[in-house]
Amino acid sequence: MNTVLALIVTVGLVVVTTAVGAIWRARTGRVRSAHREILSPARLGENVAFGANATIVQFSTEFCGPCRTAQRLLRASAAGRDGVRYVEVDLTGSPRLATEFAVMQTPTILLLDAEGGVRSRIGGVPRPHELNERLDEIVKESHVGIR
Amino acid sequence: MSAFGDDISTGSVHGETPGPARSDGSGRSRGIDPRGPRFGAGITAFLLLVTVFLGLAGLTVAATVLLAALALLFLWGATAGVTRHPWGIVFARAVRPRLSPPTELEDSTPPTFAQGVGFVITALGVGLQLAGVPGAAVIGAALAFVAAFLNAVFGYCLGCQTYLLLVRAGILRRARTGA
Repeated sequence: MNTVLALIVTVGLVVVTTAVGAIWRARTGRVRSAHREILSPARLGENVAFGANATIVQFSTEFCGPCRTAQRLLRASAAGRDGVRYVEVDLTGSPRLATEFAVMQTPTILLLDAEGGVRSRIGGVPRPHELNERLDEIVKESHVGIR
Repeated sequence: MSAFGDDISTGSVHGETPGPARSDGSGRSRGIDPRGPRFGAGITAFLLLVTVFLGLAGLTVAATVLLAALALLFLWGATAGVTRHPWGIVFARAVRPRLSPPTELEDSTPPTFAQGVGFVITALGVGLQLAGVPGAAVIGAALAFVAAFLNAVFGYCLGCQTYLLLVRAGILRRARTGA
């Protein structure tokens, strides 16, 4: 390959990689609605308890930097709301759950309603505004259900 | 595991001297500036891109030598930890003092694991090239470039995904419960 062609291919590699990164960034952390499969706390591990109004479940691994960022964000969101509990599941100890919940990236986050129904799913570090908006909706619905 | 080794040495031996311990690599317990690994990934990505160009331009020996050097740097980062990696030291000495303090600290374990992933990819490229597989160095360098560039520019963590895939494949569970 001559030098000019080599340079073009090299620049092409940078362009394609940049496009892949831009697509990833546009999609990551979005809150998506999920079908309302009902989960029981025991399915996620021993000593797991759900919140009275909503539960945030985060699937992580030990070797996941963004999981720590998500953890801080989600803990703060749960702490600022009544009856919302944050549950972190380390998949390293239970790979079975990774398969069951089709976790293809970490962090993967599920938002559960008061009954443990999966209402939303987030791949990557959540966008705080979208997350909090959705969480408030779920909490509000659970109050309506009680009355 | 090296991560546990780090913890024991820095935690028990240097635990009472928080100041210097922080800058010489007790990342796991104290946390590191997350911009450090991304700065290093940027330098590595540039050098990997140079490797790709050299390989494509027909300078196979130069490309293989450069890739071998980068593989050794990855090995250094994976075994000694990212804070003891040359780019980590450059960041700590020359770059970080010019930046505002980090808003949050990060565990050094994930980026150290990512260095291991980088080592495997680049070492395979060098090994296969030396074994006579044409284009192996260029392909290895290109794959590692994609990972390093995405990490540097977008903060994407390929090591995290690799680790998850290994967990799903059932490889790492046994290793961990055995330890």
